[in-house]
Amino acid sequence: MTNLDHGKFSRVTTMFHSLLALTVFLLFFTGYAVAFNAELWWLVELMGGNQGVLAVHRIAGFALIFLTAFWVLYMLLRMGGSVGITAVLPNLADIQAFVQDVKFAFGMVDERHPNARQFAGYSADEIPLISYIGKGVIAIFTVELILLMVSGLLIWQQSVLIDFYNSQSVVTAFVGFHGLLGVIMMMGVMFHTFEHGFHPAFYPVEMKAFLPKADTPEFHGEAEGESVTGIERLRLKPSWGWVTNVMGVLTLIGIVSVLIASMDYGGYPISETLVFDEGSLLRTVGVNIGILVLFVGLFLSMYGNVLRARYMRQIEREDRRAAATDGGEPSDAR
Amino acid sequence: MSTNEPTEARLSNGVMSTGEGMRIFPDVEACIDCGGCVVACKRTWDVEISNQRIDITTMLEGHEADEGFNGHQTRAIDEGANPGETHLPMQCYHCENAPCVSVCPTDALQKKDNEFVEVVDDLCIGCQYCLSGCPFGAPQFPESEDGLNAVVGSGGVMDKCTGCEERQDAGQGPACAEECATNAILVGSSGQIADELEKRDSGAFFNETAMEIIFGDDARMFDQ
Repeated sequence: MTNLDHGKFSRVTTMFHSLLALTVFLLFFTGYAVAFNAELWWLVELMGGNQGVLAVHRIAGFALIFLTAFWVLYMLLRMGGSVGITAVLPNLADIQAFVQDVKFAFGMVDERHPNARQFAGYSADEIPLISYIGKGVIAIFTVELILLMVSGLLIWQQSVLIDFYNSQSVVTAFVGFHGLLGVIMMMGVMFHTFEHGFHPAFYPVEMKAFLPKADTPEFHGEAEGESVTGIERLRLKPSWGWVTNVMGVLTLIGIVSVLIASMDYGGYPISETLVFDEGSLLRTVGVNIGILVLFVGLFLSMYGNVLRARYMRQIEREDRRAAATDGGEPSDAR
Repeated sequence: MSTNEPTEARLSNGVMSTGEGMRIFPDVEACIDCGGCVVACKRTWDVEISNQRIDITTMLEGHEADEGFNGHQTRAIDEGANPGETHLPMQCYHCENAPCVSVCPTDALQKKDNEFVEVVDDLCIGCQYCLSGCPFGAPQFPESEDGLNAVVGSGGVMDKCTGCEERQDAGQGPACAEECATNAILVGSSGQIADELEKRDSGAFFNETAMEIIFGDDARMFDQ
C-alpha cells in the first residue's frame, strides 16, 4: 500500500474542487477584464461585454459564497468520512517540517521531514495525507477567498459602506484592496497549477484531484521494501521537459514585464497609485501572459474531468465484458 | 434682444466665457434654491423625471444632526464661517484633477483637451466607482433599476452633467447657468470665476482639497 496508488479525496471534495476552480477562474477573467481593461481588451467581449461583465462577475461571486458556505458546513459536520477539518489545519509537526525544509534547502540536514514528503520515500501510512505545503495552500486560499468575498460584497454595496464610515474614500480603499488581493491570489493559483499540473510524476494533471477515492483502483501488492512508494512505477511524459520550460519562460517574461512597466508609474515594484488604463506594451504582455497561464489552469481543470469521465467509461466497459462462469452477473468484476 | 448683438452681450452675468478651458462653479451666497437650474437642465436635455444632472443641496450649518458623525459639527458656525442655511448647486464641475477619471477602470470617463469631462457610454460598465470617487455627487445611474442591473446591483451606464458642451460650442452658456435668476452658477475661466467671487465678496465655500480637485494649480487664485 502506498500513498500514490490510493485516492485522496471524496466524491464531494473532487466535485467541489472542480466547481470552485470554475468559479474562481470566471471571477479572475471577469475581474481582470475590468481592472486591466486596456491590456485585456479582447477578454471583456468574451466575458459579457461592457454591459454584462459585472453581472457575470457578481453571479460568480455569489456562486463562490454559496460553495464556500456549503464547504464549511460540510467540513464542520464531517460528512466526508475520514477527513475532517482537523486534517487540514496546520500543527506543530508542520512548522517543524517547514523549518527542516529550509535547513534542507541550505544543506544543513540530510532529508526532508515526513510532513513535507509525499513522493520521496516513506509509504502512505507513515506520512500525513496532506503535506504542510498542501495545508498551507488550503489555509492561504481560504483566507484570501474570505477577504475577497467580504471586500467584494462591501464594494457591491457602496452606499452602505459610505453611510457607515461617512466617507467615500473608504470605498476606493476597498476597491484597491480587492484588486490587489486578486493579483496576489492569482499568483497562488498559478503556483497551485504548476505544483500539481507540472509535477513530473503527475503531468499534465494529478488525477487525485478529479477521481474520487471510491473510484480509484487500489493496489495492495507486496511492498518491496521499506521505502517503496510506487513512484518508481511512473514514467515521465516526453513533452514534460519542453512544456515546463515554455511555461517557466512565459512566467518569467510576464513577471519581469509587469515589474519593469510598474517603474513608469512611480514606485517599484508596486505603483504609488492605482493606475488603470495607462496602457504600456510591457504591461500588456505581462498581464496577457498571466491570463494565458490562468487559461492553462482552466484547461487542465477541464482535462482532469475529461480523463475521469474516460476512465469511468473504461471501467464500465470492463464491467460489462466481465461475466460470471454461470452466465450471471459477476459480483466481483473489479 | 436682437440676435445681431455680439454673443457676450446675450450671456447672463454668471456666464463670462464659454467653450474650451471653461469651469463651472457655484456662488453659494447667491443661490436661493429656486430650482430653475434643475428645470432648465431637464427641459434642455429631456432628463427623465427620476434623474437629475444638477441638484441643489441645502446645508443647515446651524443645526446639528441627531446622531452620527455630523452630530457635533458646529465648528464652522463657531468660527463664523458661512453661517446659516447654505444652498449648493451640485453638478459636474468638470474638475481639473477629476477623481472620477482616476478611479474609472475602463477609461469610460475622459478628461478631454477642451477641459470637459465626458462619459463614453460604450465603455461604461456600471461599476459605480465614480460614485465613490466624485466628492460632488455628480454621477447618476438612471438605469440602475432596469432588469439585470437591479438583480446584480449594477449601475448601468452612468449619466452626468455634460457642461452643455454643445451649447458652449455654439457660444451659449450651460442651460442651468443661463436660467439662474441670481447668477449663482458661474461659468468661465478659473481667473474669471475667482475675480467674480472676489467682486461679490462671496468666497469659494469649498475646502482646500475640493478646490485643488476642481481647479488644480489654479486653486491658488481663490480666497479660502
